[in-house]
Amino acid sequence: MRKSIQHGAKIPPMLTRSEQDRYHRQILLIGEEGQEKLKSARVVIAGAGGLGCPVATYLAVAGVGHIRIIDHDTVDRSNLNRQILFWDKDIGLAKTWSAGEKLKSINPDIEIDAVQATIDDKTAPGLVRDVDAIVDAMDNYPARYLLNHLACTFGIPLFHGAIRGFDGQVTSIIPGKTACLACIFPEAPPIEISPVIGVTPGLIGMIQANEVIKYLLGTGELLTNRLLIWDGLRSSIETIQVERDPYCRECSHLYNDGVMREKLK
Amino acid sequence: MNVRVKAFARFREIIGSENTLQLNEGTPVIDALKTLSAGSLDFRDACFDKEGNVASHVVLMINGKRISSKDREKVVLHDGDELAVFPPVAGG
Repeated sequence: MRKSIQHGAKIPPMLTRSEQDRYHRQILLIGEEGQEKLKSARVVIAGAGGLGCPVATYLAVAGVGHIRIIDHDTVDRSNLNRQILFWDKDIGLAKTWSAGEKLKSINPDIEIDAVQATIDDKTAPGLVRDVDAIVDAMDNYPARYLLNHLACTFGIPLFHGAIRGFDGQVTSIIPGKTACLACIFPEAPPIEISPVIGVTPGLIGMIQANEVIKYLLGTGELLTNRLLIWDGLRSSIETIQVERDPYCRECSHLYNDGVMREKLK
Repeated sequence: MNVRVKAFARFREIIGSENTLQLNEGTPVIDALKTLSAGSLDFRDACFDKEGNVASHVVLMINGKRISSKDREKVVLHDGDELAVFPPVAGG
């Protein structure tokens, strides 16, 4: 079993000369201290699809020190309109192998742990419990609910994104503090093969990556208790307020509960 | 009374982003949605289940405040309310 990491309790690693050069333009923004925070961070990306590809790419170039990307699938030609880590030459290869190769090439200064696995209740706990952040880049709600359950169980932030067509949604979840995925979406929408234009997961994935980076740096305002909704047909973004469900099946136990629930009856 | 209905994602493609409905004071939310369904079978099929209830995954909000699943059949609308209907998207 991997050793559990307590966020913020680590001694930040020093940056090498190569890293100082690579991240020069963002060190101007976040300082070496911020860059060291990114370097010492461990992030898991659940899914190497339309969302997982841009999330992984931007976290890799930002210098997140350890990225674990999980998927069970192989590259199909029909993936190529949106899954930008996979190229025509990769058709038939394992997505994790192909993603790992690209990510290591784009930034050899970070560690990539590409895991070929189906995310289910047997595999997922061991794959997420030692990280600082979980990125939901899945394509179905049962798997998302499992990630949300594990995020609430282990107290690890979850960064949710989902898309369909020209539409997308993003929210960030800090278990025990903010609305969780089951508070916001207690019921899963019907299963379908989502039509999609590649820009939509590209944009939503980048917002998720931006949320992860802000969380790791401890800067800005996260999309907590807010759902960001992207309408690509109108090029408009709205955020709507969401709130914790005191009766939530997943996270209500994280609060002072018996008392709070009694009061709300 | 007038109630604004704000639609998101696929609902927006079907009924447009905003509709203003003229309804009787105290009209239940479900009746407002049925009024919209009368003008669009696509909206009815997307928003309601086979039993004629609002599909369980559809998020409903009045004036930015979410209506909980247990209240959605009984909540009523008042003049000037904004009802938001949002179908979560699932793809990745």
